[in-house]
Order: sequence, then C-alpha cells, then structure tokens
Amino acid sequence: MHAIVIDDSRAMRLILRRILGQLGFDVVEAEDGQAALNVLEGMEQKPDLALVDWNMPNMNGLEFVTAARDNPQLREMTLVMVTTESEQSQIVRALAAGAHEYVIKPFTSGAMVEKLALLGLVPSGASL
Amino acid sequence: MSVQYVPTVADLNEIVEQVWASYLDPEGVNPLIPVESAADASDIHASVSITGSWHGHVVVACSNAAGKLAAAAFLAMEPEEVTEADLIDVLGELANIVGGNVKSMLPAGCFVSLPHVVSAPAQANHWPAAVQVCELAGLWSGESIAFSMWQSRELTGEAAA
Repeated sequence: MHAIVIDDSRAMRLILRRILGQLGFDVVEAEDGQAALNVLEGMEQKPDLALVDWNMPNMNGLEFVTAARDNPQLREMTLVMVTTESEQSQIVRALAAGAHEYVIKPFTSGAMVEKLALLGLVPSGASL
Repeated sequence: MSVQYVPTVADLNEIVEQVWASYLDPEGVNPLIPVESAADASDIHASVSITGSWHGHVVVACSNAAGKLAAAAFLAMEPEEVTEADLIDVLGELANIVGGNVKSMLPAGCFVSLPHVVSAPAQANHWPAAVQVCELAGLWSGESIAFSMWQSRELTGEAAA
C-alpha cells in the first residue's frame, strides 16, 4: 500500500510517516496541498491513502480534497483529514467535499490505526 | 458582533493533557507538572491567532531546553540533535494543535491562523493589543512550559496600551 502525508509541519509528517511505515505503507510527503498535487502528478502508481492537514499555506486541505475529487486519476485514493478543525460544521464541509474520514489532532497512534482499520486499509485489530 | 467569552485554565489543561498523552508522553511516565508560574518559560514563544467571534491568541512559551525536549520527543531524536528549524516546526505545531482545540471550545465562527514562532524573551511584549486571560504553567523534566490565552482588549473592555 502507498500513502501520501500532507502537512506543513515536518514533525507531524514524521509522526504520521512513522505510524504508516509500521503498518507497511510506502509513504511520500508533501508540505501543502499544491505540493501534494505536484507530487501526485509525477507518480505512476497513485497512493491508496492521503492523510491531509487542513490549515496549510498555499493550498489548504479542504482545497486539496476538492481538487483530488475532481481529478479522475485520484478518484480511488482514500482521503482522511487529520486536523485540529473539530467543529461539526467543518467536519461536514470536509466530508461533503469528498473526505472519507476525519481524525482530530491530537491523536494517539492507536486511534489512527483504528480509523484506518475502519476504512479497511489495515486489518481489523491491527496494532503497532 | 464579537461574543465575550473567557476560556479557562481547565480548558487548556484538558487539551494539554491530550497533547502529552499523544505525542510528548505516550507512555504516561513524564507528565507536565502544574506550577504556580513558569517564569523561565520565556526563551521561545509560539502562537496562533484566533479571529471571528472571539479575538485573541493562544501562546506556547518555554525555555530553550523544554523546546528541545519537545522537539526531540516529536521527532524521535536526541535533544542535542534538535536544530533551530526543528524547534520552530514543533513549537509551531504545538501552538496549532492547542489553538485549534481552543477554537473548537469557542462560539462558532472563529478562524485560526497559521502558527508564528518567535525566539525572544517575554518582555518583548508580542501581543500589545491583548491581555492574558489564563495561563497553564508547568514543569516538564524540570523545564518550564506555559500555555496561555490572550484576549483582545476590545473584548475585555480595556483600552489598548
């Protein structure tokens, strides 16, 4: 499985890369939505999963989700927002734009694994 | 029209406990110990601004040593290996997480800025149009960290200095 982690914080990208790496994902990173679109354009095999921060410079996570959903080549990619935006209205906006799931920061590795299991991306009951 | 709301130390404490459990002390062996004041938490200030129905700032302040410990924990490296860029990134993300969660406790219609990190002492007076409304001060591995909220003087009814 392949994943892309999109977050303007290097520390957060590292934490997410560590979790995904332990689950067997090959991970690439991007520091904002536009950088992610650029990376994805050059990838022959598109990732199965994108973990997307919301509050980023250049192109935010919601704009990225919208752009990804409009791109037929990225239609199969599972989109998970990973963000501090926890208001119900924001969650609804993200899901309406095309995000499949929502993880609120701060999160434990266990919570992230559970969410990925719910999406069928890791076996149910998987742990780190 | 802005809504008057004063977040509490309990609000901050709830968020900070989650941050510690998730990233800084997942084993639960090295918690933040609350103290009356963290006077030494003045080397680095990371903040996000909140605008909309509430105006103010959420600030993470710490000593250089505490900042390096936090960065080392986030980045899975030794404190001696932490660079200035690591410090700025990690403390900015801490401010973003705490600020974003504070925002969720505020009335709807607030927006949170990208983080801003300053390496300078507290007396630099970074937020002249706001007053501190609450602070959670603590020691972590003997080093000082403080989380505080600064509310626009317009909301508190005070004139700007």
